[in-house]
Amino acid sequence: MGDFRKNLATQWRVVGALLIREIYTRFGREGLGFGWILLEPLIFAIPVLLVWSVVRAPYEHGVALMPFLWSGYLPLLLFRHIGARMLLFVRVNAGLLYHRQVTIFDIFLARCLLEVASNLAAVVASFALFYALGWVDLPRDLPMFYLGYFYMIWWAAAVGLIIGGLSERSDWVEKIWQPYSYLYIFFSGFFVMAAWLPEHLRGWALFQPSLQAYEMIRAGMFGNAVKTYGDPAYTSLVLAVLTYLGLLLMRESRKYVVAE
Amino acid sequence: MIEAFNVTKEYRTEGRLHRAVSDVSFSVARGEKLAVLGRNGAGKSTLIRLLGRVELPTSGTIEQTMSVSWPLALQGGFQGSLTGNDNMRFIARIYNKPFDEIKAYVEDFAELGKYLSEPVKIYSIGMRARFAFALSLAIDFDCYLIDEVIAAGDQRFQRRSHEELFEKRADRTLILASHMGEVIKSYCSRALVMHHGRGNLFDDIDLALQVYNDI
Repeated sequence: MGDFRKNLATQWRVVGALLIREIYTRFGREGLGFGWILLEPLIFAIPVLLVWSVVRAPYEHGVALMPFLWSGYLPLLLFRHIGARMLLFVRVNAGLLYHRQVTIFDIFLARCLLEVASNLAAVVASFALFYALGWVDLPRDLPMFYLGYFYMIWWAAAVGLIIGGLSERSDWVEKIWQPYSYLYIFFSGFFVMAAWLPEHLRGWALFQPSLQAYEMIRAGMFGNAVKTYGDPAYTSLVLAVLTYLGLLLMRESRKYVVAE
Repeated sequence: MIEAFNVTKEYRTEGRLHRAVSDVSFSVARGEKLAVLGRNGAGKSTLIRLLGRVELPTSGTIEQTMSVSWPLALQGGFQGSLTGNDNMRFIARIYNKPFDEIKAYVEDFAELGKYLSEPVKIYSIGMRARFAFALSLAIDFDCYLIDEVIAAGDQRFQRRSHEELFEKRADRTLILASHMGEVIKSYCSRALVMHHGRGNLFDDIDLALQVYNDI
């Protein structure tokens, strides 16, 4: 038990050090530095949301557009960013493995945490802005909203693990990821709710974990005003399996690390 | 004690399998100084990276019962885009050592002055060697893995690194890949001569150097 706690302490120390290093290398130490963590997703998300809110009808299927887009777009951004950060991340960071207490899982964790922190900061800041402008209301069912967002984070991290592991094995993965991360807009469930789908498609669509998470986020946003189909038990199971697969792939890729 | 059993490392380059280290076994006792000899491309650096667990062997095992440094070479172990100071901070954090202690030691040994607040990528080869060397001495390992790096520095650095490594830390274990016959003769008790990935262990340094020169 003592050993376990000591190992855990070491791991947190290492992940913390990697996080700080990641912030320095990505955002620099001068100018805004750390502030970019918040601004980076915001300068992307706010114009997109504003453009959409202009070109689309204010209500679709009886759902207010702006809250629908706001709660849909930020998880999408998280998914894309984590995926992009995990492509070839073992190869890129091979130099860190010179220090034996650093594992590729620590590097993964640090990168993931930074993306999640940056995304959540953008969620809070954009919410505050849109709330002040009267465009969004507080989610009706806050715990459900959090649960949905939690599954979004888990989903993005699990896919990140798999993408990261696979990209070390084949150059195809990197090439395919770029277009897919755009096409994902249509598969993710961002534009649809399960209730809008014809019944024979709905069952199939709900296999997709991100649609599940979107359903929960929307149940949280709109409460009883909409019918949703989120199933936490199913989502947890699928994500656990995907995470396990991703961890196996990552462990496998450690064997093929070639240091500089 | 470090024990390597039938260690093999293969790389796949351009679809072909290349065996960089082939079925190498040896053991190094605490305090012992082992030289690794061989021409460029013989597998010395790969072996050192395997001992440092930077890379994992394709087959075979390496067992260690003491703390082993990261491989001290001209690259690896630090991040080029970060400053010397930030690299030290990172190392201090992951090895759980006070930053001030490490900084004081590195400042004194590496004599980099204001360059410590510049990115490591702008350092000259000699500066890199001094920086890498100072950092790992500041952490204090039982065993040091050294890949050529001493030869990269100037005379003053060579003299000081000998003092720090061979005199002040005479009790430490060393695994030293080097072409410097004089250093090897005066400090190492055994040598692993590598050729095409295979390793032959010699208890007689003069014989080992002779074999190496004949390869």
